[in-house]
Amino acid sequence: MQNKVFNTESAPHIPNKNSVAKVMLTVWLALVPAMLAHVLFFGTGIIIQLTLSIIFALFFEITSLKLLGKPIKLFLKDYSAFVTGLLFALCISPVAPWWISFIGMFFAIVVAKHLFGGLGQNIFNPAMLGFAVVLISFPQAMSIWLPPHSISPYAMSFVENLHAIFLGQFPTAIEFDTLTQATPLDLIKTGISQDKMMSEITTGVVFGDFGGLGWEWVANMYFIGGVFLIYKKIITWRVPTAVILTTIAFSLPFYLFDADNFIGPLQHLFSGGLMLGAFFIATDPTSGCSSHKGQLIFGAGVAIMTLLIREFGNFPDGVAFGVLIMNMSAPLIDRLTIPKAFGQENK
Amino acid sequence: MVNSVNSQQLYKLQGGIKLPHHKNDSLQNGLSRLPIADKVYMSLRINRGNIAKPLVKVGDKVLKGQIIAKPDTIKGSYIHASTSGEVTAIKQRATASPEADISTVVEITSDGKEQWVLLSQTPINQAYIDSISTEDIIDCIHNGGLVGLGGAGFPTHLKYSSQNTIHTLIVNGAECEPYITCDEQLMLDYPDDLINGILLMMKASGASQAIFALEDQVGNIKSNIDKRVKDRNIQNISVVKVPTIYPAGGEKQLIKVLTGLEVPSGGLPLNLGIIVQNVGTIKALSDFIAQGRPLVERIVTIAGDCIGTAQNFITAIGTPMSHLLQHADFDKDKTHRLIIGGPMMGYSMPDCSIGIDKTTNCILALSEKITQHYGDTLPCIRCGECVNVCPAYLLPQQLHWYIKGENLEKAREHHLYDCIECGACAWVCPSQIKLVDYYRYAKSELKYLDYKREKSDKAQIRHEQRETRLERLKTERAAKRKRTRRRTSNPDKIKQDLNATMERIQKAKAEKIAQQKTKKQETDNNAE
Repeated sequence: MQNKVFNTESAPHIPNKNSVAKVMLTVWLALVPAMLAHVLFFGTGIIIQLTLSIIFALFFEITSLKLLGKPIKLFLKDYSAFVTGLLFALCISPVAPWWISFIGMFFAIVVAKHLFGGLGQNIFNPAMLGFAVVLISFPQAMSIWLPPHSISPYAMSFVENLHAIFLGQFPTAIEFDTLTQATPLDLIKTGISQDKMMSEITTGVVFGDFGGLGWEWVANMYFIGGVFLIYKKIITWRVPTAVILTTIAFSLPFYLFDADNFIGPLQHLFSGGLMLGAFFIATDPTSGCSSHKGQLIFGAGVAIMTLLIREFGNFPDGVAFGVLIMNMSAPLIDRLTIPKAFGQENK
Repeated sequence: MVNSVNSQQLYKLQGGIKLPHHKNDSLQNGLSRLPIADKVYMSLRINRGNIAKPLVKVGDKVLKGQIIAKPDTIKGSYIHASTSGEVTAIKQRATASPEADISTVVEITSDGKEQWVLLSQTPINQAYIDSISTEDIIDCIHNGGLVGLGGAGFPTHLKYSSQNTIHTLIVNGAECEPYITCDEQLMLDYPDDLINGILLMMKASGASQAIFALEDQVGNIKSNIDKRVKDRNIQNISVVKVPTIYPAGGEKQLIKVLTGLEVPSGGLPLNLGIIVQNVGTIKALSDFIAQGRPLVERIVTIAGDCIGTAQNFITAIGTPMSHLLQHADFDKDKTHRLIIGGPMMGYSMPDCSIGIDKTTNCILALSEKITQHYGDTLPCIRCGECVNVCPAYLLPQQLHWYIKGENLEKAREHHLYDCIECGACAWVCPSQIKLVDYYRYAKSELKYLDYKREKSDKAQIRHEQRETRLERLKTERAAKRKRTRRRTSNPDKIKQDLNATMERIQKAKAEKIAQQKTKKQETDNNAE
């Protein structure tokens, strides 16, 4: 038999059907219910924000890859910039001005991701870093929120949303007060600083059954999407469970001790970005912990930081900061939680 | 030390993956004996650089079963000619080992007669097993050239020694890699030989029980063996089905599933009082004792999508792969990779002229359609899927991270050496990273660094010893000089000494003169 030289690549010789693109697209899919709930309660603004932030994300991704001399097509196909854009859009107000996305995506994609080495090398969660930058730098633009449709005197159309985002013009029917009525967590923060009691504050119209009105439904959808991700084995149960259980364990004693001045566990869970954070942000593997024990500590840390900021800090919500602080601690946690290898218990 | 294990309960294996089986093709075509090739290429490489010494020279006539090479040390094993004929070359040649390593190979041109050496045959029955001594069985294991046929090729006799206290023999019939069916075929066709072999192995090890492990996807092998065990009224062999999870057939993983015990990191199953033996090795022992035939042939599975008729062949050791492939409708043009072993841990071979080894359980010919990557290789996103499947409880993504950054000591800290290179991590990686390549690289690199460090440490010690020696000589010399100098450096004392000496001399002189005077006076007096 005449000799033919065969390919001598190493094992495994049967490759899997897994890919980064598949992971990212599954995350996208898991966020669809929450996006729909968002549209239902807060209008079509989110769709515009989403389109904007993805366009900017891709713009910065392509520019960065080009400047760094990396293959553009290869890295665009991983869809990670799409996910960053989507997560960012879900954090900001549906009527925030367009340049918020621009600046947020610049910091997310260029600074947090590519300056640290690109895909898989970032220390900080890109979407959260971008969000934190705009939150600190542009408090006024970031505080414009509309109340949910059901209690709003006026529902903005798609065109009116476009006007608001690109030109800063709101329909005359919407009063300035309505615009700054802001999020339930904002109201709690100002309410408590005015010595109001929690029971008083939560009777307000923007509150629902256990969280903010509308917000609680979006949070429910995040929960469902997150469970889908666990089922699809994209994330594990550890981080979300640690976040949720720690939130309950940490807020319950305060709430039982002084229900008038502290936010209850359910209010914590179903307001603001906690559910999004628990399932979609803190579970980001690149900037999180790698060991199983480390992931539990990471999740618990995110919850504690968030609660501390919500109760005692200057910002109404603290998920982004909690995640960023824990991102910094992740390498240390990983170093301290190297698991024992097979057979090391018996040694 | 654990003294016994319960064979009824199964334990969960952490990690592992479910793979497609691809086993039916080769099983349905059954087992047949492959005609002897014109030439066989017998590798003298035993395992890990252990090479046997040839006892034949070019031109020698050999018989089938004749010893053609013996090991240098007790840690090696004998190699027997797998056909009768003439030794036509002893040369360096690629062998069926990882990277197709070059090693000494004895080429035997077959005379086609398959003439055996004189064989001593002993029918195995209960009376024989009762009468044969442990040492005799261990000698048989050694003389039969037995090595672990499951993959690693560890010389079998090394596991058996009267110093070890063994309570359980685990018979490994769990072939967890896809495509490979040689063990399943053996269990189907030779249940009686297997049971004899198990009884002999138990006697050799002193084990009080044997657990025969099978994958739960195999057909009626369990009932078949159960029936025979019951018919022969054997109490201490139990057949257990284990879940079909890759790599549950790995030695350490199988022990974990069956007993819940973990082989200590860096240790052996012996440390738990357990011996694991592949079914092929057990059958080889029974063949050697019953028929006198040493290990000169084995069952090899031929499979893959470039093989027309996948099947199992009883093949002489050293048979070139091309000969096997010819008998299985091999489509060479379609073949992209030719693999020895399974698709998860097998080695790809550059060409098909290489002779099979004692450990060659399977030859796979796969087309590019099967072997090609699903997507491009991307950087690791640390998704952690590898952590979930790692059967050694490691953090593969961290290992990869540190090795990529050439931080090898950190990789060692993350228990690199506990990696069994099963490839489960690479198989689930969404970034399509060849993770095991990194681990192999780091292991060999660390080994080299350790060797270098040891050498430089030794040089350092030598240097330090020399320094202290020189220092000691220096101080000794200095002390001596000092003593001399002290004696010569004090003028008063010298003067005193000198005076004292002079005095002593003068005194002596005076005395002598006085003596002479008296003597003279006496003689004078006498003379008068």
